[in-house]
Amino acid sequence: MSTAITERLIGALGVPQISGRVLAVALGVSVFATQAQAQEQELLPSITLTTTTESYDPIRYEAAFIVAERWRELGLDVTVAPTEFSTALERFYDQQDFDATILGWSGRTDRLDPQFFLSTLDSRQSSPGGNNPGGYNNPEFDALFDQQSQAFDPEERQQLVMEMQELYKPDAPLIVLFFRDEVVAYNHDAFEGFEPMAGEGLYSEWGPMEAVPVGERSTLRIGGPQEPDNLNPLASTSVWGWKWMRLYYDRLVRLSADVEPLPWAAEKVEQVDDTTIEVTLREGMTFHDGEPVTASDVAFTWNYYLEQDYSYFNSYLAALERAEVVDELTIHFHLKEPSASFASISLSQIPILPEHIWSEIDDASTLSPSETPTVGSGPFQFERFDRGEFMAISKFDEHFYADNIAVDGVEFIIYADMEGVYTGLQTGEIDVTAWRMEPGQISLAESQDHLTVVNVPDFGYFHLTFNLRRPPFDDRAVRRALTMASDRERMVNVLLDGRGEVGSSVIAPVNTFWHDAFIERFEFDMDAARAELEEAGYSWDEDGRLMR
Amino acid sequence: MSSRSSYLIRRVLHGFMALFIIATLLFFLFRLGLPDPTAALITEGLNPEERERIRASFGLDRPIWEQYLIYLANILQGDFGYSFHYRAPVADIIWERLGNTMVLMLPAIVLAYAVGAPLGAWLSWRRGSKVDTSGIFVGLMFRSAPMFWTGMIAILVFGIGLGWLPTSGMRTLPYEASGFFDKIFTLDFLHHLILPALVVALYYLGSPLLIMRNTMLEVYGEDFIEMARAKGLPERRILYAHAARNALLPVVTQLAVTIGLAAGGQVVVEVVFSWPGLGREILNSVRTSDFPLAQASFLVMAAFVVTLNLLVDILYTMLDPRVSFK
Repeated sequence: MSTAITERLIGALGVPQISGRVLAVALGVSVFATQAQAQEQELLPSITLTTTTESYDPIRYEAAFIVAERWRELGLDVTVAPTEFSTALERFYDQQDFDATILGWSGRTDRLDPQFFLSTLDSRQSSPGGNNPGGYNNPEFDALFDQQSQAFDPEERQQLVMEMQELYKPDAPLIVLFFRDEVVAYNHDAFEGFEPMAGEGLYSEWGPMEAVPVGERSTLRIGGPQEPDNLNPLASTSVWGWKWMRLYYDRLVRLSADVEPLPWAAEKVEQVDDTTIEVTLREGMTFHDGEPVTASDVAFTWNYYLEQDYSYFNSYLAALERAEVVDELTIHFHLKEPSASFASISLSQIPILPEHIWSEIDDASTLSPSETPTVGSGPFQFERFDRGEFMAISKFDEHFYADNIAVDGVEFIIYADMEGVYTGLQTGEIDVTAWRMEPGQISLAESQDHLTVVNVPDFGYFHLTFNLRRPPFDDRAVRRALTMASDRERMVNVLLDGRGEVGSSVIAPVNTFWHDAFIERFEFDMDAARAELEEAGYSWDEDGRLMR
Repeated sequence: MSSRSSYLIRRVLHGFMALFIIATLLFFLFRLGLPDPTAALITEGLNPEERERIRASFGLDRPIWEQYLIYLANILQGDFGYSFHYRAPVADIIWERLGNTMVLMLPAIVLAYAVGAPLGAWLSWRRGSKVDTSGIFVGLMFRSAPMFWTGMIAILVFGIGLGWLPTSGMRTLPYEASGFFDKIFTLDFLHHLILPALVVALYYLGSPLLIMRNTMLEVYGEDFIEMARAKGLPERRILYAHAARNALLPVVTQLAVTIGLAAGGQVVVEVVFSWPGLGREILNSVRTSDFPLAQASFLVMAAFVVTLNLLVDILYTMLDPRVSFK
């Protein structure tokens, strides 16, 4: 309390000024004394651990209790707060109003490139709404991040990416809890030949191209509880829109099941200089309406995307200055700065749109479903989409890959929930599940003769992120100790029934090329956790509460 | 002005007032209670500026009063706006879904009342007997059993076990029908309708059954029944021609209220049978914070209830001369 305020207070009370000053000095002394005492033994602030509701995701919900139980053992006052999902997201990302939160990142194919997951620890992403709500701030990490994003040579980039993982891990800005296998199933009496893909399961872009009918029906039927928000390639903001659209829109490059960029509509991709990439198109391709696919269509598409400012693709387009037609089959991509992920990721994500249709559309984002063009040049062509019920595409016989495709077409049946999907799989209505099965369904499916259950490792991860702006998480030692006190082995064994892997790095082990296997592990060890705290000057009171 | 027409005008005005209040409540309720519609896009990796652009394209960057006035003005013109999630006119989505819901709910409700009311009358006649007790028991049982449970049992027995009936959706794939009537005037549709409609009907059966039975018991005590008996009319005639007609009034009320509420569908049944109805859509729209779609869906439901209540009141004045326009 400052003297001035005390004087004003005392003045208000009508006590003479001089004695007020004396009193203020006395007060000041006593305040100081209490503070000194408190510095010796202060309880740590109680913390709230935010997680999803049980009905949204029982696994993350239970995981929070496993964590809280051990943290309490360490002497912390922990409250678990199950929160409605979107609200939890909002508080975490937009408001950054949290102590520690359990959330996850899904494993989208393009995130196999290390760029995205590493960016979640970049300090320039730590302002509200950014991807680094925990607020980890390490200038050295940021510098390496810039270096790797411009390193075109994979070996050199790999080195940098490993270095970054070794750099952040000892600081424990977050706990990567686990990687959860995606468990899906298919009816092997109807179709065979699937090769599961990390993070995608069986409903990958290759699934329909690989499936071989062994039963009566030659149209592959996929069933899932999710459906596209819309099928507008300039407005859809859901994975489920793009998972379907990529089957009838072609891309220059497609990522193989081992996530190797394969030239697809492009015959070759070459680097001309640091900021120019040359793409040569395959000859003789046509759109589903019979018009030829030319360099002009490709350049148009990319420039159109830049112009239309479609948020969902902005990260793929960030490096692009513009695309330029060189001749009938050659395009030059001019980049603003060297980009490592442009040739592998961006080229594999942007579809090729027919210029003769889209050039007449000024504002593509406002197209209604009936006005939205569906002409692509992919291996399948669009048939129909009945919201809430059904989608269909048929094989495009003119496509260069058509001879390798054994199915006549693909139908996607939209169910209300996983229960419906599983019933469909049981009765033979569908052949493959598009989405992971619920834990209870897995053992049921395993006991069915006509079903094959597939475990697909994921590179998306579930994490517990600390708010580094708030005590006690501003102290590295606390974060390290709490990480050691999180029994992730138990989560995998009990919550995932062994179908998954204990979290290590933000770059998953299944992502072999980029994952660093030699980073600090933080095995579950309560004694080590206590030792870590003790060493950093923490102690416990007689009730076992953690003090500092 | 006759008392009848002034009564009607007053009632219609009340209805509009109610809808206006509901529309207002919905607008603010969703904006206060639901998270930002772009929150879910965070997991897609969209940065704040990108999300802000999307919010602006939805008109969410404007002051809330301005949004509210635009919303009211649009509703008055019958424009429900554009769905954030589907990027499609809300009206198109709702009419289609409402149709799907009604073709499930109406047959089910009609079936429940067509069976329930006569059955209730019959039970009242046999009151106190074992038939009466077991009838009440069955009616109450289906009324109290959770519909997802009856639904799942029905799927397990008739869908998976016996394989007689389809368990999900409105039609068999692949289909060609595109118009709404093409879709529902087929045997295939009826085949798909049986299970969910039966589950809904069993649930609703209890109300007309019990209401009819109990009202009948009251009516039996009336003088005109005594009179009919005194005239020596056969018991069956007394039951159906005299007592039942008078006991129907509360059943009619209940029927209208039930149909009014049916617009929202039975979310549980729509989910269990993957029926593409309005109930499922409402659930989704709340999940995705699709304000325009959620507001309009609830408003349509409210309009249904208000309208049918009005109809019932009017109907009453015709069915029962004791009710007057005051």
